[in-house]
Amino acid sequence: MSETTPRVYSVAEVLGGVNRMFQDRIGRLWIVGEIKDLRRPSSGHAYFTLVDEAGQLRAALFRGNARRMAFEPEEGMEVLAYGDLSVYEARGDLQLIVRQLEPRGLGALQQAFEQLRQRLAAEGLFEVARKQPLPARPRRIGVVTSASGAALRDVLEVTRRRCPGTPILIAPTRVQGPGAEDEISAALAAIATRDVDVVLLVRGGGSLEDLQPFNTEIVARAIAALRVPVISGVGHEVDVSIADLVADERAPTPSAAAEIAAPDDEVLYRELASLWLRLSQATLAHVAEARQRLVHSGDVLRAHAPSARLAAHRERWLAAHRALLRTGPRSVDRLRNRLGALSGRLDSLSPLAVLGRGYGLVRRHSDGAIVRDPADAPAGERLSVRVARAEIEAIVDTSRPLGDL
Amino acid sequence: MGETRRGKQKKAEAKVELGFEEALGQLEGIVEELEDGDLPLEEALAVFEKGVGLTRNCAERLEETERRIEVLVAEGETLVERPFEAEE
Repeated sequence: MSETTPRVYSVAEVLGGVNRMFQDRIGRLWIVGEIKDLRRPSSGHAYFTLVDEAGQLRAALFRGNARRMAFEPEEGMEVLAYGDLSVYEARGDLQLIVRQLEPRGLGALQQAFEQLRQRLAAEGLFEVARKQPLPARPRRIGVVTSASGAALRDVLEVTRRRCPGTPILIAPTRVQGPGAEDEISAALAAIATRDVDVVLLVRGGGSLEDLQPFNTEIVARAIAALRVPVISGVGHEVDVSIADLVADERAPTPSAAAEIAAPDDEVLYRELASLWLRLSQATLAHVAEARQRLVHSGDVLRAHAPSARLAAHRERWLAAHRALLRTGPRSVDRLRNRLGALSGRLDSLSPLAVLGRGYGLVRRHSDGAIVRDPADAPAGERLSVRVARAEIEAIVDTSRPLGDL
Repeated sequence: MGETRRGKQKKAEAKVELGFEEALGQLEGIVEELEDGDLPLEEALAVFEKGVGLTRNCAERLEETERRIEVLVAEGETLVERPFEAEE
């Protein structure tokens, strides 16, 4: 047999053949790896190396494709690169011409998020009708969060400022990392068995991976199952987690969640003071109206020992008056301060102050009815008269009608 | 007429159990009742007394400034509440 001369190829032919082979036999493909040695010269192209434990592959992302991307590639980022293999002939380097780049973990997580979101939405878990109302002033606030995180510090600071007298119960849990969702779910269930009116589920900002436990089905169902309202404050304002969607109320940050849960006691105090003033004024109006109907008689009256019945009435009025002034020194002082210029009138609004101005309250001795008309006090009727510092038992001599004052 | 001391005490205890929101709500109701102006003096004073009690109740709760922060811990099989020590 004769020796055949081997075909000799030029370098260009080899490289060209290799490139044709890539195109015909491999085409476009997805490759996973970590970005190393990322360069972004002013040309707008990006050059990097895709590495894994076993090898590395040069990659080029040209300006046109780079511009279409939604995210910024970074050194060290794990990515999925879609493109064509080719040999850059001038240098003989194998490279990947990248058409599309995706962050690896992020893509999978985002997809999982979207799928879970759709599934739970279809079940109605996010419905507004499901959401429980929040208490205006909780007797105790529950907090599910990391015991050592900034979120807890924020919550404690906000509640200290707004309602320091409202007790707090913390159910500590990990808020990131594998298995954290089980702990969070257990903490939620546990705290709901205690005496709390509202639960804050909070954690500080982090990456999508960090927040992942709050995007799990187990945490979503744990929130949905609670019979106590849940306010979620997970991550930064822009992060919306599944937990946020299921919760009864959602806040952009842990501090905001605390503000929603915690009443501002100063505001409540002002409301109370306002009601107090109206209460006193309205009562005074009643007394003033009754006063207009008093028969002011300077005729002959005979004093008798006070009746037990009248004494009981007097005790009641005195007790109310005392309660007015002696609620507790601090409380009354604060209420007085709140009423400002009107505070001096507090005493004058007491019904007893009316009596101090010379008016008397006249009742029939037999049934205690207030005397308003002559018919209430015919001649001979026994009356009990309460004046500022005396009880007077009297018998009617005469009574005559007067027009309305 | 006239309440016995025990009756008054029981009423006071019932007020302590009343939630803050409810107490405030009742106070608002009383104020409106008085402002409507139709009550005889006797009733007005009775309602006023009740209003004073409710105001005291609410004011005392708002006066509370002592903080109570606790943490839920597992001790064996049970959950207990312990005072919370903030980490620095």
